[in-house]
Amino acid sequence: MEEQEYWDSDPESLVFDRDRHIYYLLMMYQLLPSPYQGQEINRLTLAYFVISGLDILRALDRIDKEAVINWVLSLQAHPRNDSTLEKGQFYGFHGSRSSQFQSNNNGAAILNGSHLASTYCALAILKTVGYDLSLIDSELLLKSMKDLQQPDGCFMPIHTGGETDLRFVFCAAAICSMLGNWSGMDREKAKEYIVNCQSYDGGFGLIPGSESHGGATYCAVASLKLMGFIEEDLLSKKASCHIINVPLLLDWSLQKQAQDGGFQGRANKPTDTCYAFWVGGVLRILGADTFINESALRGFLLTCQSEYGVFSKFPRLLPDLYHSYYGFCAYSLLKEPGLNSLCVELGITDVAAVGL
Amino acid sequence: MNRGVEEERERIPMSQRPEWADVRPVPQDDGPNPVVPIAYTDEFSETMDYFRAVWQFRRLILDALNVDLHEELHFVDQITKDNSKNYQIWHHRRWVAEKLGTQIASKELEFTREIFSQDAKNYHAWSHRQWVLQALGGWENELAYCDELLEDDIFNNSAWNQRYFVVTRSPLLGGLEVMRDSEVAYAIKAILAKPENESPWRYLRGLYKNDVNSLVNDPRVASVCLDVLLDKRDFVHALNMVLDLLSHHHQPSNELKDAVDAVSPDPKPSDSNFAERVCSILQLVDPIRASYWRWRKTSIPAQD
Repeated sequence: MEEQEYWDSDPESLVFDRDRHIYYLLMMYQLLPSPYQGQEINRLTLAYFVISGLDILRALDRIDKEAVINWVLSLQAHPRNDSTLEKGQFYGFHGSRSSQFQSNNNGAAILNGSHLASTYCALAILKTVGYDLSLIDSELLLKSMKDLQQPDGCFMPIHTGGETDLRFVFCAAAICSMLGNWSGMDREKAKEYIVNCQSYDGGFGLIPGSESHGGATYCAVASLKLMGFIEEDLLSKKASCHIINVPLLLDWSLQKQAQDGGFQGRANKPTDTCYAFWVGGVLRILGADTFINESALRGFLLTCQSEYGVFSKFPRLLPDLYHSYYGFCAYSLLKEPGLNSLCVELGITDVAAVGL
Repeated sequence: MNRGVEEERERIPMSQRPEWADVRPVPQDDGPNPVVPIAYTDEFSETMDYFRAVWQFRRLILDALNVDLHEELHFVDQITKDNSKNYQIWHHRRWVAEKLGTQIASKELEFTREIFSQDAKNYHAWSHRQWVLQALGGWENELAYCDELLEDDIFNNSAWNQRYFVVTRSPLLGGLEVMRDSEVAYAIKAILAKPENESPWRYLRGLYKNDVNSLVNDPRVASVCLDVLLDKRDFVHALNMVLDLLSHHHQPSNELKDAVDAVSPDPKPSDSNFAERVCSILQLVDPIRASYWRWRKTSIPAQD
């Protein structure tokens, strides 16, 4: 792996450029450029990156919260009437208007494309802009979400089927946590599935048997934390967790910080901005983020910060919204002044998580 | 979807193509204040209107028309090659393969092999391959395939992971305990070739997953640490393994202690406790994790 000589970069970029980041996000909020059109189904996800990003940067006042709330709520799936309540259908949130079909001439029910991931994003956005989630009609959402859970504990993202893996276990756990209601999932079964995803090397794969991966490991650990199976600040309290191998997980996670200061997602793979959050977040949840080499990580992140003030996957590549958002998260974990702190396991700020 | 440049120039809008005449596009209505509106090009607007949830519809149609799924698989082959990181396509592939059953196992293994020839670590392809083996079979040559990949690139962690998968789950091999001996030898060989490679060290440790005492008592483990330390290069993982052994009450030989001391950058180490000395050395030779190694000192069990 090449060493990144971060001390050689342009001195102007050696500072976290909060104002430029805010400007970028506001531009994205107004109008995402054409290259994002392949992300059509993920409009809500993109909105989450922008809005939560602005929250981290303490610039939420720049957007119209009412408009956001109305738009997000308009994406909630509702049965047309009681008689069309189909068993097995998930009544969550759509990713965008495009998955909310009009009925066709035969009245066939191809109406409901709501998805676990967009539901997570919807609730995260609403919490971020201060909407009271108890106002949401969540009974049907939670009841129908339970139907997405598989016998092995994992979750399908959408009732018509789809790949099942840890990402959707995380979405389900975060949804239940934000709604303050765990009737939407069987926590024990979910825990069993997560435990089966821990690899021989201590990290977690997306499904049992898969290679350990930073994103999957975040989903596993964040879910266990949300469900109450991991204590707060495990390491400092010298508490032990018996369901997963914590020492091995710790060693694996810390080993992912490479010599260039950034984090890898998998052993022997290149470093990438976003893993500073996925893996750094795991370490924060375990109470082990003090073991991260902060100056090395800062150095790496700065080389990924472009002249436009946002983040790319690697140094000197064009910036994108996903890596920008996780770059902000990483800086928040590093306690950059002027940024809001994160509730790591929910993927929103502490301020948003607590609610006011 | 990728198209040739000439095709692009000749592209006729969907609304003017006879074969799409009976399909009604579902228009998008974002409401008055859409958040993150995307600046659509005209082609995109038109195309997306027709291709909503295309994979779901496709499956409904395939079922209804009882289409020859071999043809479908061939179609998916072409699309996957251009979109090998798209979840929906791999999920669709699995759906087709499941319907075709065990007859299609070798074709699926061959297909993922082709993907790996371009990107040996494609996560989706590895998940698919693991699913194929478990659902449809074809384990016979899997360990040999791992050998091949590791010969190409001994640092390929996906291949090491696959090796573990085969060794622990193949119905043809007898399970981890039976395979452990030969796999330890394999891991050690890889370590000696490239001691800085994280993968075989994790693999070696993983071979003793539920049996740490065997790890501690297997002389080959302490021995490979010693060999790497004697070479005085790339010994960080070796020191970590020594620490792991000590944490589980391994009694180090004098030879091992001497070899560890010989790599210490500090000419006068002050820790009298050997395990603490290992941590101190790690703080110096692996400075990016210095605070972790310092903490490890505090959690070493008392030496006998």
